[in-house]
Amino acid sequence: MTTVNMMINGQAYGPMDVRDDLTMNDFLRECLGMTGTKFGCGAGQCLSCSVIVDNPDGTSHTNPTCIVSAANFNGKKIRTIEGHAKNGELTILQKSFIEHFSFQCGYCTPGFLNEGQVLLERLEKKPLVREDLESAIGEALDGHLCRCTGYVKYHEAVKAAILKEPKRYLKDGGR
Amino acid sequence: MKATRREFVQWAVASGISLGVSRIGVAEIPGFLSHETLPGRGTKTPKTGRVDGVAKATGAKLYASDFRASDLPGWPPETSHALLVRTPNATHIYLGLDLERLSKIARPSVLVTSEDMKRVNIRVPEFYAGDLFCPAGTTPVYLGQPVAMLIFEKFDVFDQARLALRDGNFLKFGKETGPLTLPNYGAFRFTRVAGATPSDPDVYSPVQAGWISPGFLESSGRPIWKPLPVAKGSEYVKGATYGEEIRAKLASKDPDVLMLDRKFETQSVDPMFLEPEAGLAWYDPASKKLETVLGVQSPFEATESLAHLLGEAIPTLKPKIIDAQFAYVGGGFGGRDHTPFTLYVGLAGMFFPGHPVRLAHDRFQQFQGGVKRHAFKMRTQMSVDRATGKITAFAADHVLDGGGLMNYSPSVATVGGTGALGIYDVPRVDVTTVAEHTRGVTAGSMRGYGTLQTMTALESLVDEICTLLPMDQVEFRRRNALRLGGKIMTGHAYSVSVRTSEILDKLEVHPIWANRAEEKARAKPGFLIGTGVAIAAKDYGTGADCSLGRVEIDADGRISIHSDAVEMGNGIGTALANRVSYHVGGIADEVTVAQVDAFDVLELVKTGDPFTMSQDAQDAGAKNTRWVPEISSATSASIGAHVGTHAAAQAARIIFRFGLWPAALVLWGIAPSDPRAKQSEEAYWQGDTLVMTGLDPLPLKNIAAKAHRLNLVTGATAHAFSRWSWSQASFLISGETWSTDIDALAVRYGGSKFTRLDRSSVTFPPTDFNRIGVAFASLCGTGVRVEIEKATGKLQIVKAYSVLECGKALVPEVVVGQSQGGFAMGVGYALFENLPPFEDGPGNGQWNLGQYLIARGSDLPLHDLEIEILPPVSSNEPPKGMAEVVMIPVVPALLSAIYDAIGHRFQSLPVTQQMIKDAIA
Repeated sequence: MTTVNMMINGQAYGPMDVRDDLTMNDFLRECLGMTGTKFGCGAGQCLSCSVIVDNPDGTSHTNPTCIVSAANFNGKKIRTIEGHAKNGELTILQKSFIEHFSFQCGYCTPGFLNEGQVLLERLEKKPLVREDLESAIGEALDGHLCRCTGYVKYHEAVKAAILKEPKRYLKDGGR
Repeated sequence: MKATRREFVQWAVASGISLGVSRIGVAEIPGFLSHETLPGRGTKTPKTGRVDGVAKATGAKLYASDFRASDLPGWPPETSHALLVRTPNATHIYLGLDLERLSKIARPSVLVTSEDMKRVNIRVPEFYAGDLFCPAGTTPVYLGQPVAMLIFEKFDVFDQARLALRDGNFLKFGKETGPLTLPNYGAFRFTRVAGATPSDPDVYSPVQAGWISPGFLESSGRPIWKPLPVAKGSEYVKGATYGEEIRAKLASKDPDVLMLDRKFETQSVDPMFLEPEAGLAWYDPASKKLETVLGVQSPFEATESLAHLLGEAIPTLKPKIIDAQFAYVGGGFGGRDHTPFTLYVGLAGMFFPGHPVRLAHDRFQQFQGGVKRHAFKMRTQMSVDRATGKITAFAADHVLDGGGLMNYSPSVATVGGTGALGIYDVPRVDVTTVAEHTRGVTAGSMRGYGTLQTMTALESLVDEICTLLPMDQVEFRRRNALRLGGKIMTGHAYSVSVRTSEILDKLEVHPIWANRAEEKARAKPGFLIGTGVAIAAKDYGTGADCSLGRVEIDADGRISIHSDAVEMGNGIGTALANRVSYHVGGIADEVTVAQVDAFDVLELVKTGDPFTMSQDAQDAGAKNTRWVPEISSATSASIGAHVGTHAAAQAARIIFRFGLWPAALVLWGIAPSDPRAKQSEEAYWQGDTLVMTGLDPLPLKNIAAKAHRLNLVTGATAHAFSRWSWSQASFLISGETWSTDIDALAVRYGGSKFTRLDRSSVTFPPTDFNRIGVAFASLCGTGVRVEIEKATGKLQIVKAYSVLECGKALVPEVVVGQSQGGFAMGVGYALFENLPPFEDGPGNGQWNLGQYLIARGSDLPLHDLEIEILPPVSSNEPPKGMAEVVMIPVVPALLSAIYDAIGHRFQSLPVTQQMIKDAIA
């Protein structure tokens, strides 16, 4: 057993004793009842289970939870889909997903949303030139599997969210 | 005992078990329905998008896999967990589970085996006929067949057992028997000989003579298709004799005729919906109530099946009430339509009384136990007059691998068979099809439903014929396309628009096709360019489609909709909201789907099977004003728009006509005798404002308030049934006879309760329509351009275009999204996805997404995938199902493009990078 403490969506959890081989996905879904993070494959292949990990250096990345133990997340700060909206106000990316009809069944949406959010935050710190935008979105989202949509509308939604504030995400305001 | 009773279901199952989906009172914990009832657009931000948009973008609990006992009011707080143990061996005698060894790792609280099924007298519904668990001492019928269910009180113990069972071999097997040989699931022959001219009646057709099946089998179990000279089965002899004449003609040598005879094989694939199947069940022995939370495409069927399963169980394991609740579905694609998983969820609850039990597949288990797409082996023959380019005859033989249980195999075989002619008009046709039992994982419903396989073989054959004639691929299709009024293989004409020529025109002028030669010549060094085109016509509807809808408007103009259709990503909730808004102005404030008891007031009853009942039986049933041929049917994407929204739309129309319109007249000061009072059809909605030329626009809110004050119709609940046409009935509403395409109706006046109205007359579509096979179809054409790297065989789709027609698109954004998704699924089917049969396949329990590849974003032309939806043929053309057809033409189009690039025709799927590389070498 390992005693874990972690910060999830700004709220402290722990100390809690968990089995060493308990996955982070089961910790979220079975122990905490936070089922916004989905279970898709249990093999780290579909990434519907991804969460955002906020690193001490101020950077963030996504991490699958289905093949990584909860113990591995001990002491970390993470964000899940339940934590994006603040006080009921959706983020730009959540709104963009909805307005673009990005998802259908929606089961893969948490992974895409987290990945897109990390991309937005990365671009905010390190803007891209406009002509590299599509390929950057493509590279960011490519590991995530979706069976309903054909991916197009996810890409469109992320792109639209970025182009809504080009000065924030693109070099020279995207010119 | 007070039951949450719905008489119609009790009548149907006759098992003494009450069924219901009761509204759970909201206590401290939000009730299940509060999760599943979603705000419509316009009530919360944002103002566009799907009605389930906010819930899905914020991680709300929506899916069956999201719920635990602690989420459900009134349930005990702790959830126990069940595990289905499935066999990876179907060639040796199963001896039992090494429970002693497993218990050292994780001891189950309950073990359920085949013996328990006998002990407590479990009845398996006919559709799932077979042992739910393989009895010890017998050879498993199929790979992946459950042998036991283990129930663990605590999650950690369950989790350890799950991991141990995946990696270790805890099942004991004895001597080798080889696989079991069982009868095929169905064999059918479709033969049509047209009259001398298109206007002449057919010489022979299934519609005229009925559907036929051969009565004799070879020792191998294969049907004997030849017309054996026996007195019994003369109907078969007649059809088969015509069929054999067609084949003899195809085999004859004629220099004026090009005849091609090809074999084509398609693979088994997994629906691969992202949410593995999951469910929750709690049996309270004190109240004898079984409560479940399920995620299926067929809620009514699932509820009935549970009742049948437990209907004759011993008293301690026979519930008095089954209260089934249905969640949103994380992808379906057919794979959750009549899934046996539901039965095991019910058993899990029953065998651990007092404990809520969750049964949830992980992905390995979903591959091992989930329903698959049928692998097909096909032989296809086609003859073409060289001078005219007209197809003169067509024959095909299909063999389907149905896997271990029958499920939908006979139905998939017939739909695949009758769809084997695609868009073409052919005067002489003979198709045989047989769905076989094998030891593979059970195959059933999946998007395309047999026609993906048969139309891929067809279009590939057509492509080759065009090369050999030679003739332009679009031009050949134009010459042979079925036109409106033309007869399909069963001898019947489509009763909906047929827009082949428009789609061919679009494909022909599209730059992908028009510029193919220039693009081919422009290939980079080391690369080959190819262009392909294909077209498909896919049926939608089953011949027994039902629609249940309830619409209500309160005094503030707030609209709520209830439907039995299931939301599995198809946007049915949004489509309902949009279609209802056409009649009543506003976008619904609440949409609740997957409901089976919100329509109790209709008190519907049914008898028999709508597909096989006689006309006399239907006529007798129809005398009861509460009788309908079928009450509720499964949701599939392709009938969502057409069927799923129909009853709600009719209900909304009635509210307008007998509630909002007369209220508006009062607000306008128009007397009933004024001619304008009869002109309700001329009024229309602009947003939530009713507009009538020459009169002040009226807000819905004001009209609704007036309708309530005047005690006019403010709610309607309707049922509709379609057997290739809608049932029609008349009802007396507010003193006026109203005839429309529904067969049961209840209305609410003002704020009163709903009251069922007896229909004064009814016409159900004749039972003979069951011979039609298909009367509704949508079309889609696809053009693709591929670039192939010679050295590696790597294929990239550089541009693609799909053009489709679907009548009125209720939610155009969803139609485009489904088309893009269908394209992606087609790409996966053509190039990546593959489940080997038998021991190397998913039944061995070792398959996951590491081996099973589906299309990723980088496999698709994300920025060069163009979707075009043809506008409806008229402003009142109803919506047509489109979600299946959009995945079909991309597959043969890709094969065509690959041939165009490398000069090699592949006759099996998937065409992998290695296969392309080898062909180039």
